[in-house]
Amino acid sequence: MEKVLNEYLEKMEKYLRPIAVSERVDIIKEIKSEMQELQSNDIPAEQIIERLGNPKDLAKAYLGDLLSKESRFSWNRFLVVCAFYSLVGFSGMVVIPSLAIIAPTFIICGIMSPVLAAVKMIDYIFALGIPYVENIGIFLGGIVTFNPIVEFIISLVIGVLLCWTGRGVWKLLVLYCKKIGKTVSNLSI
Amino acid sequence: MNIDDWKSQIKRGTLEFCILIMIRKQPSYGYEIISTLEKYPIVAAKENTIYPLLRRLLKEEYISSSWQESTEGLPPRKYYSITDKGLEYIAAMSVEWENLLSAINKIKGE
Repeated sequence: MEKVLNEYLEKMEKYLRPIAVSERVDIIKEIKSEMQELQSNDIPAEQIIERLGNPKDLAKAYLGDLLSKESRFSWNRFLVVCAFYSLVGFSGMVVIPSLAIIAPTFIICGIMSPVLAAVKMIDYIFALGIPYVENIGIFLGGIVTFNPIVEFIISLVIGVLLCWTGRGVWKLLVLYCKKIGKTVSNLSI
Repeated sequence: MNIDDWKSQIKRGTLEFCILIMIRKQPSYGYEIISTLEKYPIVAAKENTIYPLLRRLLKEEYISSSWQESTEGLPPRKYYSITDKGLEYIAAMSVEWENLLSAINKIKGE
């Protein structure tokens, strides 16, 4: 066989790499068979190559079928996976720690505020004189001061709101993790 | 008028049918199929269409293949022959083809 024809087959083989070796060999053998057939009909190598067209295009024609049907390794897929993990890795660095800190903090504050207000209320009712209790309370820059009982009721409402928000944030965190898990399984890596 | 576009659509739809009929008549090899089709411009197609199509038909088991040594000086050829599944497929396609032709004739007649 002439050099140009061998080069053509080599190029084709290179582009057919995504196909399994046994099939690739078979494809090349079939094209080679046609080349030899044409040569035996006294058709010059240049015309044979012209007839077959660009080796890349001929190889692509075989690959087109493969790409749509089988999910073998492909660069597109690889890029999708890379993009996914970069995004998740980056968002995970910010989103997961933030949510994980916010959620328990809100809940703890939500519990602490009525508890502390209760301490102040008890101190006020029984006049126990617990030290530093004057630092507990709702301070609005001295414009209004509340009765410790009222303060307790307000802090109870605030506490419920804080706990409720904390729980919401926690749910959001769980949802985020689940969503990522689901996407990963969709990518089937 | 863009008749070429329409022609290529017809070709796409009927090439498979033509190839299967050809293989049913007698086992054939790739180049033989291509050069036979070349005689009829409406279904003429190049290597980059026929070989992948043959491979698909092979995978779907409408045809089978075997390499055969030819007489001296000629390369081995990959012969394709029809399978039972292929014969069923041709029969089903023929029915639809007749349906199409009679539909066109009836529409024309009205």
